[in-house]
Amino acid sequence: MKKNGRFMVGLVGVAAVVTYLIWTGVSETMVYYMTPVELIDKVSEDPTFHDVGVKVGGMVIPGTYSRVEGELLHVFTVRDLVDESSTFVVEYRDALPDTFTDNIEVVIEGRLRSDGVFEANTLLTKCGSRYEASPEELLGTGQ
Amino acid sequence: MTILGEFALWISLPVAAFGMVLGYAGGRTQRGDLVLSAERTIYAVFGLLLVASVGVTAAFLGDRFEYWYVANYSNANLEVFYKVTGLWAGQRGSLLFWALLLALFAVITVMTNQKKNREFMPYVAGVLQTILLFFIVVLLFADVNPFERLAFTPADGRGLNPQLQNYWMTIHPPTLYLGFTAFTIPFAFAVAALLNGRLDARWIQLTRRWILTSWLFLSVGIVFGMRWAYEELGWGGYWFWDPVENASLLPWLTATAFLHSIQIQENRGMLKVWNMSLVLLTFLLTIFATFLTRSGLIESVHSFAQELKIAYIFLGFMGAVLAASVVLILYRLPQLRSENQIESFLSRESAFLFNNLLLLGAAFSVMWGTMFPLISEGFTGQEISVGPPFFERVNFPIGLLLLTLVGIGPVIAWRRATKRNLQKNFTLPVTVGAATGMVLFGLGARHELPLVTWSISAFVLTVIVTEFWKGTRARARIEGEGHVLAFFHLITRNRRRWGGYIVHVGFVLMCIGFAGAGYNTDSRFNVEPGDVVSLASPFGHQYDLTYEGLSMSIGRGERNLLWQAIATVSVSQDGTPKGILTTEKRQYTNRDTQPMTEVGIRSIVSEDLYLILSAMNDTGGALRNDPGAQGIDLQVLIKPLVNWIWIGCLFITLGTVIALWPSVDRVRLAREKAEGSSELAAAGAH
Amino acid sequence: MTLYFGVALVAAAVVLFVLQPVVKGVHASLERADDELTETEARKRVALLALRDVEYDFLSGKLDEQDYRSLKGELTAEALAALEADEASKAGGGVNEILEAEIIKLREGFNSGATCHSCSYMNVEGSLFCSACGFVLTEPVAR
Repeated sequence: MKKNGRFMVGLVGVAAVVTYLIWTGVSETMVYYMTPVELIDKVSEDPTFHDVGVKVGGMVIPGTYSRVEGELLHVFTVRDLVDESSTFVVEYRDALPDTFTDNIEVVIEGRLRSDGVFEANTLLTKCGSRYEASPEELLGTGQ
Repeated sequence: MTILGEFALWISLPVAAFGMVLGYAGGRTQRGDLVLSAERTIYAVFGLLLVASVGVTAAFLGDRFEYWYVANYSNANLEVFYKVTGLWAGQRGSLLFWALLLALFAVITVMTNQKKNREFMPYVAGVLQTILLFFIVVLLFADVNPFERLAFTPADGRGLNPQLQNYWMTIHPPTLYLGFTAFTIPFAFAVAALLNGRLDARWIQLTRRWILTSWLFLSVGIVFGMRWAYEELGWGGYWFWDPVENASLLPWLTATAFLHSIQIQENRGMLKVWNMSLVLLTFLLTIFATFLTRSGLIESVHSFAQELKIAYIFLGFMGAVLAASVVLILYRLPQLRSENQIESFLSRESAFLFNNLLLLGAAFSVMWGTMFPLISEGFTGQEISVGPPFFERVNFPIGLLLLTLVGIGPVIAWRRATKRNLQKNFTLPVTVGAATGMVLFGLGARHELPLVTWSISAFVLTVIVTEFWKGTRARARIEGEGHVLAFFHLITRNRRRWGGYIVHVGFVLMCIGFAGAGYNTDSRFNVEPGDVVSLASPFGHQYDLTYEGLSMSIGRGERNLLWQAIATVSVSQDGTPKGILTTEKRQYTNRDTQPMTEVGIRSIVSEDLYLILSAMNDTGGALRNDPGAQGIDLQVLIKPLVNWIWIGCLFITLGTVIALWPSVDRVRLAREKAEGSSELAAAGAH
Repeated sequence: MTLYFGVALVAAAVVLFVLQPVVKGVHASLERADDELTETEARKRVALLALRDVEYDFLSGKLDEQDYRSLKGELTAEALAALEADEASKAGGGVNEILEAEIIKLREGFNSGATCHSCSYMNVEGSLFCSACGFVLTEPVAR
């Protein structure tokens, strides 16, 4: 029985270490996920939020994309999925994913600067819903 | 043919249900005719699912776009290879494919057990039919029928996502599915053991080969996925802690824990409840993996659809299996008592137990990180995102501890290790590990994580190599064999053990490869034809890359390719020309997206040179072959040690195959020989 | 029409195939096979394998002599118990010569007087006291 007691100590020890890692891991690395509307509201309520890293999901407005020559800098405007009037400009300094295009849903991570421009560190395109077409879309296929 | 396939799927439903009932009834009543009937239903269901699968494939090959599934994953111009493999291109077909593989393994199980393990087979058949029935029900009633037809026939299909038109992506799902479905067999035997009361290590011995095979396919399947991501996703990364990647990692972690803990049960009769729970957990996680990937619950790079009905059916099934299994385990608890106790903190049993705890801890953290955002959103309404930083932060320390254990396990004694035992066997490896760390530090290695990883790896490799050396030398002395022969015989006489050590070597090599990512370099250049860029790799290789130019290839719509822009780069390494690398942009007709990037990779043992054509300065001009529009953005990545990941996987495969290889049962042979000769003697005496 | 006929044929074939055993009264065996490993045999195998491993570990230098003798004593006792249990369970089937020889060999080693009855440590022949625990070693037991 005494030996098993030692074991429980070991087991509890490992469980404690893992729990600690997960706890601090989540709290230190987790990022709020917001819509553009929520972010704009939050920032106007609380100006210090300009420095907080967040993840935002929005849609690229057609025709707003431009690339700065000479630098690796992409600029485009993103709008809220629901409220089309809620928008901001995004600056992204990395290679664009191949699936990036007009009207695509994107998930950007970064912060909304005080000048109203969103500085994005990472950019992902959400192409999950585009893998399978609705019957209407299928009607249009074929040449 | 396709319609026949559809009917076959419908027919399989009552057959599977009938077989399920017969299996349990036959086991309970001990009626051999019911059991034989149940076993026959397994053959029947396999045949029917095969017909259904062939039907789906026929629809692809025949360009039958009135079928929703074909219309979404194929088009007339698609290469035949991708039409044939269209069965597992998307959610619906994958579920059918899964069921087919499971039925195939069920057939193999029934066929190889016609004359043995008869106490288990009735229940095994019942359990397998239960699971098959579940999949058939899902296919027919959860809006995921691959035979669903549209109200009209489109003129052409949408085609297959170009990123999926890649060799690795075609073999990655089947390999993983082979791993997932193979694990169902040990689970079925475990439940059969719970039902028939034979709760010793027998069910484990019988299914050891299935467990190893499943683990092999899981490991290799995951690595294939990594290779695909590395080649196709264009960022040079191979793992993103994506929910779908995590879903396949979870059963791998618990299966690895299970592989080790069953040895304790076989050797010392302990951890019986633990093993039952682990096999149940792993099985549930394989179902969970399908559920996560195919139900659209979490949208990710992989996710294919958003069907909610299927989510409820899956959750319901998993809940029912969990409840039933827990009830069974509780019912059999008295017979699952351990025969021995762990005697000492310092023992192999203890090391294995820590290995299990760490693996399960890692699994828990991956599960948490994947599911927490969903749960949190459910409760607080606030969406949060948990990404790679979390997973790395938690799993790197766990991984390092596991790596260390890999070096401790083989050497520490069973039951109790004395201080002398530890001193004798660990002095050299620890010295080598520390020395390696110091040498690397001296050579300029300053990133802590890789440094620690490589030092521990040196420690572990020393342990394993010493094991092989000592074993070979001992055998050579005892049996009087030469060292080479002794080495060979050493392995073949105890395949499990030495095969296992080879697998461990593979794992260590993979860790060495992973750590290399700490030294990745990433440079970008804007170049015109004739420009030369020079960069040095962390290992000291000097690369001089000459951008030669762009060549355009205009497609004629075959293979769905509109155009290809191929950038050619001449590579010179340390002053010697080494040939050319190309990287491309390809525009496909069926996807209204930006062009896809194909990277160029040059692999040597120490590193990969990875070229990406990020963007063309003037795409339109390039298409018109304007001499002035040949400038490009070229991204050059150097990936140190990345090939050790793939090499490590080869070792893992080799080691597992060795461990799986049937060995001659020498005890039985000797006995048969003795009985034979005594019979002869008796006969001769007449 | 031919399609429905074909389907009906397949369905009928499946039903016949599946129900035949019940109808005709053909039974699958549910008995344990003759050469299948029984529980006691499995234990015996494990015990003998463990003994073999200990020999190899000692010869390859992984275990020093003290650990070796200590472990060997324990494992021999277990192996003996397993062998005897196996022999007892096979009692109905006649004498198994190989099994007998194994038991005899092990007993000889075990009872040569060198094994301590207190802590199972296998001492060098001729010792009066156990080197591990100090227990007085008994006289060789006549067989």
